[in-house]
Amino acid sequence: MTDNQIKRDSGSGLIVDRRQLMAGAAALGLGFGMRPAFADDAPKKGGTLKLGMEGGSASDSLDPRTYADSIPISYGWQIWNGLVEVDAKGDAVGELAESFEAKPGATTWIFNLRKGVTFTSGKTLDADDVIYSLNLHRGETKSGAKDLLSGISDLKKLAPNQVEITLKSGDAGLPYVFADYHVLIVPNGFTDFSKPDGTGAFALESFEPGVRVITKNKGNYWKPNRGNFDSVELRYIPDAAARTQALISGQIDAGNRLDAKTVAFVMKAPTVNVVRTKGTGNRFAFVALCDSDPYTSNDIRLALKYGIDRQKIVDTVYKGFATVGNDTTVPPSMKYFAKDIPQRPYDPDKAAFYFKKAGMANAKMELQVSEGAFSGATDSAVLYQEAMKKAGLDLQVKRVSGDGYWDNVWLKAPFCAVYWGGRPTADNQLSQTFLSSANWNDTHWKREDFDKIIIGARAELDEAKRTQMYADAQKMIVDDGGMVCFAIGDYLDGYGKKVMGTAPHPHYDMCDQRIAEKGWFA
Amino acid sequence: MLRLIATRAGLGVLTLLAVSVLIFICTQILPGDVASAVLGQQATPDALKVFRAELGLDQPAYVRYFGWLFGVLHGDFGKSLTNQRVIIEELLPRFENTLFLAGYSAIIAVPIAVGLGIISAIYEGRVADRVANILTLIAISVPEFFVGYILIIIFAINLAWFPSLATVFPGMGVGERFYVATLPALTLTMVVTAHMLRMTRNSVLSIMSTPYIEMAFLKGLSRSRVVSRHALPNAAGPIVSVVALNLAYLVVGVVVVENVFVYPGVGQYMVDAVSKRDVPVIQACGLIFAAVFVTLNTLADIVAILVNPRLRRRRPRKA
Repeated sequence: MTDNQIKRDSGSGLIVDRRQLMAGAAALGLGFGMRPAFADDAPKKGGTLKLGMEGGSASDSLDPRTYADSIPISYGWQIWNGLVEVDAKGDAVGELAESFEAKPGATTWIFNLRKGVTFTSGKTLDADDVIYSLNLHRGETKSGAKDLLSGISDLKKLAPNQVEITLKSGDAGLPYVFADYHVLIVPNGFTDFSKPDGTGAFALESFEPGVRVITKNKGNYWKPNRGNFDSVELRYIPDAAARTQALISGQIDAGNRLDAKTVAFVMKAPTVNVVRTKGTGNRFAFVALCDSDPYTSNDIRLALKYGIDRQKIVDTVYKGFATVGNDTTVPPSMKYFAKDIPQRPYDPDKAAFYFKKAGMANAKMELQVSEGAFSGATDSAVLYQEAMKKAGLDLQVKRVSGDGYWDNVWLKAPFCAVYWGGRPTADNQLSQTFLSSANWNDTHWKREDFDKIIIGARAELDEAKRTQMYADAQKMIVDDGGMVCFAIGDYLDGYGKKVMGTAPHPHYDMCDQRIAEKGWFA
Repeated sequence: MLRLIATRAGLGVLTLLAVSVLIFICTQILPGDVASAVLGQQATPDALKVFRAELGLDQPAYVRYFGWLFGVLHGDFGKSLTNQRVIIEELLPRFENTLFLAGYSAIIAVPIAVGLGIISAIYEGRVADRVANILTLIAISVPEFFVGYILIIIFAINLAWFPSLATVFPGMGVGERFYVATLPALTLTMVVTAHMLRMTRNSVLSIMSTPYIEMAFLKGLSRSRVVSRHALPNAAGPIVSVVALNLAYLVVGVVVVENVFVYPGVGQYMVDAVSKRDVPVIQACGLIFAAVFVTLNTLADIVAILVNPRLRRRRPRKA
C-alpha cells in the first residue's frame, strides 16, 4: 500500500480505497464481499460511534500543546480542525485554509482561510484566530510542536481571511507542519482548554480522562460528507485483550492497535473488519552513538547493520505485521522515500568482514534494551544476538528498566533500543533525528553535508531535484549512520462491520485518527 | 470501649501521617520527574525548563511536602500536575466506583467464604469440606487476570450474558451498575474466597479442640449447634481480621482486574499517575488507600470485641 500505488489509481478516492481494502483483505486471507456496495453509498447520517482505544491515560488534558498519544489526538480532531490536513494520497490539502501558496524560495507563504466557518461559541474564524493559535506553539512554551514551528519568524494578517507566514529559511513542506495534531486552530485569546471551543464536527459533552470522552455532533458541519455520527463515545481501553473482546462482542464499533499476536483470531470473527495500514507505524530501531567506541568506526556500524536478521524479527516478533526497515526512519509509504537504495540483507559473512576490517578485535558491543522502549524490543534484541553469533560476533544484550528509560538510557547508552513515530514529511522525519543540531539526534551522527542537503531541500521547489536531494540524504544515513532500523510496524485497526469509510491512511492509524469525522454507519 | 476506639483512631491518624511522609519520599526517589515523563520523548531541554518552573518543581522537597500537607488538612489535594484538573473531583467518583466494586464482591464473597468455612468445619474431612477447599484453592492459585479472561470467554463471549467492559459512568442506574460490574465482582470473589474460607475453617476447628467444646458435646448437643453457638463466637476474632484484610485488598489491590474489565477505579488512576510522575495524584491515592487499610483494621478490632461475649462484657471480679 505504498504512496505510488495509491497515486497510480486515479479517479474516485472511494474506489481506490476499496481496491486497497480488497487487496489488503486478500493478503490477509479475508473473504470477499465483506463490504457490500461500499463505493456506491454516500455517507449516511446518524448513530453513536463507540471507539475503544489505547494511547492515553488519566492525566490527559484537552490542551493541544500536551497531546502525545492516540486518544488525545482523536478527540482533538473531533473538536478542532487544523489549517491543513493530509489526504488519502499523503498530500497536504487545505482544511481551515482554503488555499495556500509559497512565494519563490518558499520563505514567504500566503494562507487564505475558509470563509464562514464558525466555532462552537458562534464566533467566525478569521486571521487573528490562526495567528493566536500558531503562537501557542512558539516561544516559551511546552508545546510538543515547538520544534516543528521554530522555523517561523513572523506571522502577519494581510486581510481578515489571509495570513502571511515568513520563515527563517525556505521550507516547501510547511503545509505539512500545519497538519500536525498539536497545531489546532482555537479562537483568538482562548485560554480555558477545559471548555474547548473549536470548528470541528463535534462539541465536547463530557471529559473523564482515563475513562471516557463524549462528543456530540453540532450539526451543519462545514465539510461535506463528514461529521456523520450523532455522537462519539471514546473509551479508554488500554488492555489489548479487553479491547479485542469488546470489539468482537460489539460493545465498541472500532478499536486501535490490535495485537499482532492475536489479530489472526480477530479476523476470523464474523463481526469484525481488520484494516491494516502497512509500514506507516512506529519505526523500531537500535541506535549506536557514532562518537562512542567502538561505534566511531563505520565498519563496526556496517557490521551491526549486516548482522541483523530483519525478516526473522518481523516474522517472529511482529508475526509478519511489519515491514523490514532499511536503517532510516523514512518508510516506503512516504513521499521522497529513496526507492533506489537496495534493502540491506542479513549477511553474516559481510558482518564478520566489516568487523575484522575495523581492526578492533576486542571491541565490546553491548545493546541495552527494555520493553519500556517498545513492546518486542527484548525479543528483537535476543534474535539480533543470535544472528550476530552466526557471524562469529559477540553482541551482549542487557535488559534495563522501562521506568525512566527515555531519561536514563536513550541518548546516553552507546547502543540502545528506540522507536520513532511517523512524521508528516520526509523533512520532519529526517530533521528531528539526523540533523547535527537536532535535540533528539540519538546517534550523535553529525555530518555538515547532510545538514546542507536537508536545509537545501526545504527551499527547493523543483520536484525532481528535491526527490534526488532526499534520496542522497537517505543514502548517507543508510551507508554511514548509526541507526539499525530493522522494522516499521503496521497499524492494525479493528472495525465493526457496519462502520464505513475506514480506508487505511498513509499518515496515522484510524484514518489519520479522524475516523469520528470521516466514518459513517452502513 | 470509647477510650479504646479513641486510642485506635489516634493511632490510625499517626499511621497515616507516617505513610504520607513515606509516600512523599518514595515519589522523590522515582527516576525522572513529572516534566520529562509528561513531555515524554518530545521533551526538549527548553520545554522541560519552562514546564518545571510552571509546576513549581524547582522548589525544595520539604517545602512542597508541607505545602501539600496543609492543603490536605483543609480537604484540598491540589491539582494534577499533568492536566491541571482538581484531584479531589477526579478521585472521589473513582473512589466511589472502587468501593462499589469492593462492596459488590464482598456481598458475594464474605457469606460464601464464611458459610462454606463453617460447613467445612462442621463436616471436617468429609466430601463437602474437601470439595470446598479444593475449588477455592484452585481459584486462588490462578492469576486473577486469567480468571477474568476465562469468565469473559464463558459469560461475555460464548454465552453473552454479561458485558466484558465493566465501565460504570455517572448517571448509570443502580441495577445497570450491578449488571455491568458482575464479571469483575465474580473474579474478585474467586480471588478472595479461599483465604477467608480457610481462616474461618481453621479458627473454628482450633476452638473445637478446647475442653469447653468437649463439654458441650458431652452435654449431648449436635455438632452443628456446638459449632454455631459455642465455637463460632470465640473464633470470630481471627475471622473478622481476615475478612477486613480481604476487604482492604478488594479496595487497594484490584488494579489488574480494573485493567482487564476497563473498570474506572482508583487503581488505574494511580498507575497512570505513577507512570507520569504526577506526584500530587500519587500522594492522594496513597493516602486514600492507607486510610482504607487503617479504617478497616480498626473496625475489625472493634467488631471482634463486640461479637466476642467474653470481651464484650466485663467479667465480675472474683474475690
